[in-house]
Amino acid sequence: MRILRFVVRRLLQLIPVLLGVVVLTFLLVRVLPGDPVRTILGQNATEADAAAARARFGLDQPLWRQFLDYLRGLVTGDFGTSIQSGGSVGAEMALRVGPTLELVVIAVTIALVAATVLGVWSARRANRPGDHGIRVLALIGNSVPDFWLGLVLVLVGYSVLGWFPAPSGRVDPDTNLTPLTGADLIDAVLTGNGPAIASAAAYLVLPVLTLVVGVVAPLLRSVRASALEVLRSEPYAAAEAHGLPRRTLLYGYLLRATLVRLPSLAALVFGTAIGSTVLVEYVYSWQGFGQWALRGLLYRDYPVVQASVLMIALCYVVVFLVADVVHAILDPRVRI
Amino acid sequence: MLSIENLSVVIRRPGRQVAALNDITFAVRPGEVVGLVGESGGGKSMVARAIVGLLPDGSHATGRVVFDDADVLGMDEVALAAHRGRGVAICFQNPRGALSPTRTVGRQLVDRLVTHQNMPVDRAREAARELFEAVGIRSPQRRLDAYPHELSGGMAQRVMISLATGCAPGLLIADEPTTGLDVTLTREILRQFRHAADTDGRGVLLISHDLASIAEVCDRVVVLYAGTVVESGPAAQVLREPAHPYTRALLRSVPDVGGRPVVATAGAMPLLTRAPQNCPFVARCGHADDTCAARRPTTEPLAGGPDGWSLACFHPQAGPIGAEPEPVRAIPAADPAVGPQAKSTVLEIDDAHVVYRSRFGSGGHHALRGVSLRVAAGETLGVVGESGCGKSTLAKLVMGLVSPTSGAVTVAGHSLVRQPGRAHLRGRALRQARTRAQLVFQDPIGSLSPRRTVADSIAEPLRAAGLSAAERAARVAAVLDRMELDRSILQRYPHELSGGQAQRVGIARALVGEPDLIVFDEPTSALDVTVQAQILTVISEVTADKDRAAVFISHDLATVRGFADRVVVLYLGRIVEEGPVDVVFDHPRHPYTMALLASAPRLGGGTGAGGDAVELVKDLEEADATTGCPLAARCPFVTDTCRTQQQHLQPYGASRAACWRAPELAALTGKQATTP
Repeated sequence: MRILRFVVRRLLQLIPVLLGVVVLTFLLVRVLPGDPVRTILGQNATEADAAAARARFGLDQPLWRQFLDYLRGLVTGDFGTSIQSGGSVGAEMALRVGPTLELVVIAVTIALVAATVLGVWSARRANRPGDHGIRVLALIGNSVPDFWLGLVLVLVGYSVLGWFPAPSGRVDPDTNLTPLTGADLIDAVLTGNGPAIASAAAYLVLPVLTLVVGVVAPLLRSVRASALEVLRSEPYAAAEAHGLPRRTLLYGYLLRATLVRLPSLAALVFGTAIGSTVLVEYVYSWQGFGQWALRGLLYRDYPVVQASVLMIALCYVVVFLVADVVHAILDPRVRI
Repeated sequence: MLSIENLSVVIRRPGRQVAALNDITFAVRPGEVVGLVGESGGGKSMVARAIVGLLPDGSHATGRVVFDDADVLGMDEVALAAHRGRGVAICFQNPRGALSPTRTVGRQLVDRLVTHQNMPVDRAREAARELFEAVGIRSPQRRLDAYPHELSGGMAQRVMISLATGCAPGLLIADEPTTGLDVTLTREILRQFRHAADTDGRGVLLISHDLASIAEVCDRVVVLYAGTVVESGPAAQVLREPAHPYTRALLRSVPDVGGRPVVATAGAMPLLTRAPQNCPFVARCGHADDTCAARRPTTEPLAGGPDGWSLACFHPQAGPIGAEPEPVRAIPAADPAVGPQAKSTVLEIDDAHVVYRSRFGSGGHHALRGVSLRVAAGETLGVVGESGCGKSTLAKLVMGLVSPTSGAVTVAGHSLVRQPGRAHLRGRALRQARTRAQLVFQDPIGSLSPRRTVADSIAEPLRAAGLSAAERAARVAAVLDRMELDRSILQRYPHELSGGQAQRVGIARALVGEPDLIVFDEPTSALDVTVQAQILTVISEVTADKDRAAVFISHDLATVRGFADRVVVLYLGRIVEEGPVDVVFDHPRHPYTMALLASAPRLGGGTGAGGDAVELVKDLEEADATTGCPLAARCPFVTDTCRTQQQHLQPYGASRAACWRAPELAALTGKQATTP
């Protein structure tokens, strides 16, 4: 019950934060050098053409007027019209968010599980060869650039071994998947489309692996450090001195105490992963949110940039909220 | 059951070697409570670790630790796992720290029951409830689902005891089980161990630095010094007439509520790198001669003593302690002839309330409820009470670290914080005024900045006052001499100091700015007994300054008696009794004061003039002060009047007490009611 109240309160706090984001991005994109109208009209357009285009997108209005129009649209759920494509920004984004979220959520989940298992295993063998091996591997994974790792995985997994589909798209078009949420694996499960499930899963393997390798190191390091701390702590020594069996020690006294500090780091890592997807999406032609947002930024497509920044901010805030709730559930000492 | 034979432990680490235990021999039989006493560093905890086979890395043990016919030192992992818990279970020193913070205490107990008594989980939960009840936890069903941080210190210690007994061990080891607990709880907790020995026939090994407080429940005591057994024997006799000079020194350094002066033993325990060739106590002993310095005394039965009394000394002493005129400095009892009334008032608190509001919404914790105090220059005021009674809040209030919700606080004529309806200072003037009151903290090392040298720490108040570097150095040097600290200490960092040195530095820091008022907030409770005695000597000397007032806060009544002029007894944020220290201690008027005095440990077992033991019926946390006397829920003399009428301080002779029944209590203490 207290947790529910906390969530509601935090969601209310979300409103001023997002309002601030809206104002800032609106101003920032307009301060950036570059003119969206020039980029779509090309070299040979006349001043008259440009003025007409500006009028069409409402860019000839005074700034406050544009902002009010933008706000009015936001309230009704209208993110505006893309200058580049002429399509609705809201509709375009809806298509793009699903695939990227699917990628990031699966990758971060796998990374969390792997970090917990390996981190605890590593801590219990601290300073033995297995421990060092895992830490070196994690460090290497963390040091390799995402796009390069992506290319290597494509080379090995697709070209050499041929186990995984080509890095183009997210699901085999022959499976006739009906898009619902945009996240293909979920769509496939929802529609009960067997072949599509297999295909979407196969397409996911390499990009997810790329992301996991990129983000697992800091998580692993944190889990190992806190597990070591717990292993050397008084409560653990006390439980050990009372002769509790290894299983009870591991699940009852080590695991939860170790994971207490993980959620806040996991939230940060989640944010980083959203950023890293841009490159991974390029490598795997994922047609996701990152690619779309980047193109919007390059062409100074104001509505697209505003919408994508707002979306990322929303993701961050929600993820940190989830992290705080999980932290409070794990650690009874936290008051929320 | 447990028999330790010639146990020696040497810890080898790169670059240093410590002989932690040297030739220890003693035994614990079923149903027997054995006390293991000595200063910290004497090897007490090492003995406990050796018994459960948890010696630190790099240690090398010789000798035998025989438990139920098996040598613990030779056990393999499997045998050790069975031995730990089922054979020997430890109650850890800091119960709140030793309980896992992320698991409910009920689950932790169930874990032990399931492991060692092979119970199914639902049976174990039922058994856990019964065990909680057995160790005196009220509403045990609810406590099963509590997390350790939700428990008070006393409650956590009870849970720890239940965890240890839940393993159904043959031998129960309690490592300093009462450190940090106040007098009433200490008695209660120690009784639990006696109970475990009497009813379940377990052996109990009680480890403590405080011989006086545990002696009451022990059958035998073993005194450790520098990793050697110096004396062992029946508790009552050893306590009354200790034969070894170290045991005598240990007892003499404990302040006594009876008013016996504390005698400090100079020096510190040596850190041995190899087994000693001479008597390890030789450097600090008043009776030492050449023999002591040349040879190590063997452990021999005391001639003419009762069975099992043995000691390792060439010069065994006889007679009760305190009888002989011992060397070294005694703390002079405060001279009541000095009339403080005529002096100027340094601290004045008038009907102060402090309420800690909760962060959101209404409610809050009412820490002080209408406290009025007056301390004059040259006077020392003792403040005593159980933990949670508002002592520390009072210290913060005096220092201007919390502002009163209502009421007024004045230090040397200034108010240090914003107070309702009063002007207060700002900026430089406020900083100047604040230097007039200084605080000495409970944790001596923790209250010094770890990144500053001692010189910087001591000079800090002077820098705030804007003195030049040369002047600072001179003042620091002067105060260092007064604290009997060596100049070489100036360049050291806090972690390089011993507890006693750090507390001297803390006092020096408080003293260096020549403040009008020094507040001592439990300055000795974190220190070893013999160091405690040394620090108390220093403090008594400081509080004797004629132009300075002092407030000495402590949960230990005996330390206050040493040098306070007046004493104030706090209970749940109210003053329940105040008066000259001797009057309050010898003729307490308030039932709460009587109970505090009755539960204070006393050498020789005699009771004080306060009368027969008055016992409170419940724990502090269960007493809620709504209307009427705050003590009503716990007081054995309670009547309906007490439950409805607020009590105010009324003069009774030289002291004042907030109890309307005070005049008739003296007659009642003999036949005190047993039910509330």
